[in-house]
Amino acid sequence: MHTHRDRLPGELGFMLLALLFSLIMLWAAYGISRFESLSSAGAFPMACAAAMVISGAVNLLGSARSRLKLSEGRSWLQEWLVQVAPATLLMFTGLIVAYMLLLEVLGFLVSSYLFLLVSMFVLGSRRFVLNCVVSALVLAAIFVIFREAFSVLLPGGSLVGPYLPGFLK
Amino acid sequence: MTEALGYFFMSWLDLKMILLTAAGTFAGIYVGAIPGLSVTMAVSILISFTFKWDVNEALALISGIYLGGVYGGSRSAILLNIPGAPAAIATGLDGYPLAKRGEAGQAIGLSTVMSVYGGFIGIIALALAAPAVSSLALKFGPREYLLLAIWGILLVGSLSGESLSKGIFAGALGALISTVGLDPMTGEQRLTFGSLQLSAGISYIAAMIGFFGVAEVIAQVHTLHTKAVRQDVSRIIPAWSLVRKYLGLATRTSGIGVIVGALPGAGGDIAALMAYDHAKRTVKNPSRPFGDGAYEGVVAPESANNAAVGGAYVPMLTLGIPGDAVTAVIIGALYIHGLKPGPMLMIETPHLFWFVVGSLVLANIFLLIFGLTGIKIFAKVVETPKPILLPLIIVLSAVGAYAINNNPVDIYWMLGFGVLGYILKTYGFQVGPVILGMILGPLMDRSYRQAMVGSGDDVGLFLTEFVTTPLSAIILALLIFTIVSQTRWWQRLRGHDLPPTALKP
Repeated sequence: MHTHRDRLPGELGFMLLALLFSLIMLWAAYGISRFESLSSAGAFPMACAAAMVISGAVNLLGSARSRLKLSEGRSWLQEWLVQVAPATLLMFTGLIVAYMLLLEVLGFLVSSYLFLLVSMFVLGSRRFVLNCVVSALVLAAIFVIFREAFSVLLPGGSLVGPYLPGFLK
Repeated sequence: MTEALGYFFMSWLDLKMILLTAAGTFAGIYVGAIPGLSVTMAVSILISFTFKWDVNEALALISGIYLGGVYGGSRSAILLNIPGAPAAIATGLDGYPLAKRGEAGQAIGLSTVMSVYGGFIGIIALALAAPAVSSLALKFGPREYLLLAIWGILLVGSLSGESLSKGIFAGALGALISTVGLDPMTGEQRLTFGSLQLSAGISYIAAMIGFFGVAEVIAQVHTLHTKAVRQDVSRIIPAWSLVRKYLGLATRTSGIGVIVGALPGAGGDIAALMAYDHAKRTVKNPSRPFGDGAYEGVVAPESANNAAVGGAYVPMLTLGIPGDAVTAVIIGALYIHGLKPGPMLMIETPHLFWFVVGSLVLANIFLLIFGLTGIKIFAKVVETPKPILLPLIIVLSAVGAYAINNNPVDIYWMLGFGVLGYILKTYGFQVGPVILGMILGPLMDRSYRQAMVGSGDDVGLFLTEFVTTPLSAIILALLIFTIVSQTRWWQRLRGHDLPPTALKP
């Protein structure tokens, strides 16, 4: 148990959110079958949520007692951007979200290729030709292996799918 | 007996099985070795792909990946000083100094042979112990299962995490998530908030891929440009005299590995650290001081972490309670194939047990072959830059999540769990207990309610029966000890003798 460790920026807020979430869950679990009986459908979820509330409260206290250490000359936000969510990480996560949303529209092959190229660039791989070739080869391998060996049909996409040639469907 | 032998050799006589095991072991070595890929990640993603396969084929592949992956981490620890997997952290302490002395080849050769040796001890222990444990487990009632499941989650939370309360929170969160949907006993809606989507429940495979794939990838953006150092590798196969010299130590540390692996929740990483600690305390005249490239410092963790694989299969196959994160994922795979890991598994499907043992032995043999060859290509592949590797893992994760039900909604769940997992990790929570909670949640729910009904909904009787039933009382004592040993009070009482967590670098 490290009671005197330093706290990361945003930690206290997260612990508070976690506790609030646990309380809401406890209320929701109570709503399943109230105190009807000890072996009712709601008993176990309530026990879990109660465990979350108690441990969540302990976490919050521990976090509140530790010190928020900022490196010299950095504001809270700057520290957060370094330790928790650097710009590259935020951009990459944004790209992942965009990719998953586009998957249904553009289909697996197109959206994956775009995602691979853009995110390799964002993460700092600046050898374009290599990126293009590696992405294409890996996608081709995934496509063939998964269709043949694992019989997984990858989404064709609502926009592109209808125009794809048969062997790419 | 002859029947068991027949099942044992099943994977040896079928060319497809041999190839699958070989492919699994080979892939496992690379998965374990490439920093950024983990066995848990690979097995999680693979489960959704292989569920249309025959269960034996899937198990052969997974056994190979598991054994290969636990070993593979040591190679990058020795060559690059970056442990490819947590189980190889201890190996790097002496492995990398050995490489710096120009003995990378020797270190890799010795670690391979000792991993295989440890692996065999683990498998033998599995073959001997599992039938005994499983006949004992037949005496277990709902009360014992409830306690075992809680104990397993607590062990994962407390041994691998930084604080017990965070481990409890994570485990309880997982168990709560597992209850979302229709109650299997009464059909009531639980925590669905009126949503049709939620009443089908939340897929734990999507959660696994999210936590072990996406979250891990996002977290690795922090260490995007860790530079690797190249080593020369020429002579790999170690001298027999060197191997013989350390067999005694390897046998002892393999024993540690088996026991730690069999404990619910503690896996190869903790086994390796404890074995390293054991070697440090007991070896009087190491080949060099520990930390400067002692062979003992490579032998001990490497034999232990592979021995832990066999150990981890024991509670998984006999009790249905996973020994570590990978076996938690494998349990998920067994459920998907319609099998119920637990004491009845060995009675209803003995062939499955002996098949698993057989394919583990086969994988271990392949490990020896692949471990001592192809090191030059290996050194190149392991250096795949993360900016190229990470996006590829995301694509694979997306395919994996989609493949569960051909349903894009699972991809969104995976994404949500991925982001949540990253935040949890950042603020010092472990994601292992969440997954364990999700997998063991239904078992705990059912066991609790059966035990409660058995006591006639009487809290007093329900509680006293934990103490009056001998089996329950023993497990309860272990559980309480786990909690107490995490308190400052206990650590002060023990003075400087710190628990294994303190070993973590």
